[in-house]
Amino acid sequence: MEPSERPERRPKITRRGFLVAGSAAALVAACAPAAAPSPSPTTAAATKAAATAAATTAVSTPGPTLKLGMLLPFTKVYAELGASQKRAAELYLKQAGGKLANRSVQFIFEDEANDPQVGLQKTQKFIEQDQADLMMGIIATPIAYAIRNAVDSAKFIYIGTNAGGNAMTRDTTDCKPTCKSKYVFRTSFSAWQVSQPLGEWLSRTPATKEFFLCFSNYAFGTESAAAFVEGLAKNGGKETGRVAPPLFNSDFVPFVTQIKAQSTKNVYSFFSGTDAIGYIRAWNQLGMPAAGYKMFGAGFLTEQDVLKEVKDQANGAITSLFWSVELDNPENKAFRDLYQKEYNLLPDVFAVQMWDGMKALDEALKKTGGNTKDKDALIAALEGVSFKSPRGDFSFDKATHNVIHDIYIREVKTAGGQTVNTIVDKFGKVTDPGK
Amino acid sequence: MSLELVVQQALNGISFGALLFILAAGLSLIFGMMDVVNLAHGAFYMLGAYVALQVVQITGQFWIAIVVAPVVLAAVGFVIEPLLLRRLRGRHLDQVLLTIGVGFVIVDLIGLYWGREVRTLPFPPGFDRSIDIGGSAYPTYRLFVIAFAVLLAGTLYWIHRRTAMGALIRAGVDDAQMLSALGVDTDRLFAITFAVGAGLAGLAGVVAAPAFGIQPGMDVDALIFSLIVVVVGGLGTLNGAAAGAALVGPAETFGKVLFPQFALALIFAIMAVILLGRPSGLFGRIRIGR
Repeated sequence: MEPSERPERRPKITRRGFLVAGSAAALVAACAPAAAPSPSPTTAAATKAAATAAATTAVSTPGPTLKLGMLLPFTKVYAELGASQKRAAELYLKQAGGKLANRSVQFIFEDEANDPQVGLQKTQKFIEQDQADLMMGIIATPIAYAIRNAVDSAKFIYIGTNAGGNAMTRDTTDCKPTCKSKYVFRTSFSAWQVSQPLGEWLSRTPATKEFFLCFSNYAFGTESAAAFVEGLAKNGGKETGRVAPPLFNSDFVPFVTQIKAQSTKNVYSFFSGTDAIGYIRAWNQLGMPAAGYKMFGAGFLTEQDVLKEVKDQANGAITSLFWSVELDNPENKAFRDLYQKEYNLLPDVFAVQMWDGMKALDEALKKTGGNTKDKDALIAALEGVSFKSPRGDFSFDKATHNVIHDIYIREVKTAGGQTVNTIVDKFGKVTDPGK
Repeated sequence: MSLELVVQQALNGISFGALLFILAAGLSLIFGMMDVVNLAHGAFYMLGAYVALQVVQITGQFWIAIVVAPVVLAAVGFVIEPLLLRRLRGRHLDQVLLTIGVGFVIVDLIGLYWGREVRTLPFPPGFDRSIDIGGSAYPTYRLFVIAFAVLLAGTLYWIHRRTAMGALIRAGVDDAQMLSALGVDTDRLFAITFAVGAGLAGLAGVVAAPAFGIQPGMDVDALIFSLIVVVVGGLGTLNGAAAGAALVGPAETFGKVLFPQFALALIFAIMAVILLGRPSGLFGRIRIGR
């Protein structure tokens, strides 16, 4: 047969070629650093702390506009966390009359798209193109690690409002995977701060000395599990085994099946957001509570985003965190009321973390008279900040620039149709062991 | 692993595979007929889940949602094909790029309308618990997913093999130009095919939602898994989608549990081995001129 007799409809490679191109595009999109989030909240007190007399005088002369780079996720899986922090930042500025100290503020919001490379580019944009005074934000730890050297070498102050990887505020060997910098502060938490106290608290009781571990398999999940085991060891507790689902795992039934096939009834469970919801639902579907299994974990397991979907299915879970929407103090009440009035929804822990970041910056600027040019003076002012936050007493560890705060042990309870984290105990002034 | 545990995990894998079949069938159908890899398939799946969420919020009935969501998605497909894809007929790479764009637009519109928080769909009444299988509890919803997928496969097979529509589809897959020359309205046939494919994606979204949740990013996961399934099983055939799903579902589940670090690599390794042996997939058609 002559080739010309039957014209080919298309070149040979098209079909497979299309598929390859298409798959590659999809894969690139999907695999683009599934940077993990390290969730946790902090809030600065809604009531303004009294500024020092000296600051008050300095503040009276208006300064130039303060450019504040805000690096947050507005797309992909953490979009809602970014939205929450944006709301908190805008609300803080609004209630402060549009100014921090004597400087009116221009926010420059950029989307880090949960991608360390994008995060680094946007950080460089803040530094070079925007000539921003300083920056805040970042949800996922890998992005915070990726920008550390850039802000350090540019002597550009960054106030972290979520990413909780331990190394960000610690001295590490050869600075791997990263290390503290005098230009980096963190108002959120470290992985250690959230999980170690829970392990220590539980291991005081004979019934809760042995734990099976189930945690999201990424840096923050692994660090959290390690901190929990470290806490257990304080009172002779230990781990009996572990299983680690990938981050953003869609199907949790196979993992809960594995848990049920072993005999340790206490299960440390580190998950947040979508993973936490999937895990708790699978847990109940397989009848774990009836079989005597109990869930424990870092507070993200049972924050509002999760509880509003799983409701009483989370009952009995014991978790640790530095805040809870029900926390009973005047600052939290004021913050909650203000936030609810403005947005008609309850604040979450991420909002608190950003609120406290804004508050800390506000307080520091009052001390420097609004000066951001003298970096050493601003760093010293930030180091000295301390105020009543919705989470309780807030201050920075001068050695590491990580937050020092109380950690609450909470139990999920349902009463009157409301499922909430009830505070059962408290660890005062928990400081990350980093030097 | 005890035998009992192996059986339970096998069931978990089979039910995941069952869902993958529902998802991949639509992608495969559209490709077979139109030679277009519809990269908006994941967005259709996601939209199906959100439509179901809306229906359940209004009516409180999962069983209404499982009917309404696929119909809505079929309607969306029925509009998109003539409105957008038809203009680029014959320019396959452009069509594929267009579907990527359609997917982005759908995902962003979903974000605007429904927000970007994580949501869940309640299990249908009676399917929120476990039953006893061989001495251990097994979730009833997953058994429902398996049964549903088997029923759907049977129905699709019957339509494909025994109805006039099925004959047209098979003819279109073999040679759409010839079919057109014989007087069949291929424009209409393509629109219907695209609508059915989109509807199947929507159906998968509804069925998956109670078990896997509803969240931003679900579209990408669904797209990747459905692409893997159709590549392994062979493009454009129902048998291929079924075989691919039956292989990938259990492989994913056992891989995740036994070698969590290498689960995804395991799936791609299987894909590579199969493509080396059978470049067009397990049931792919080797066509003249290709």
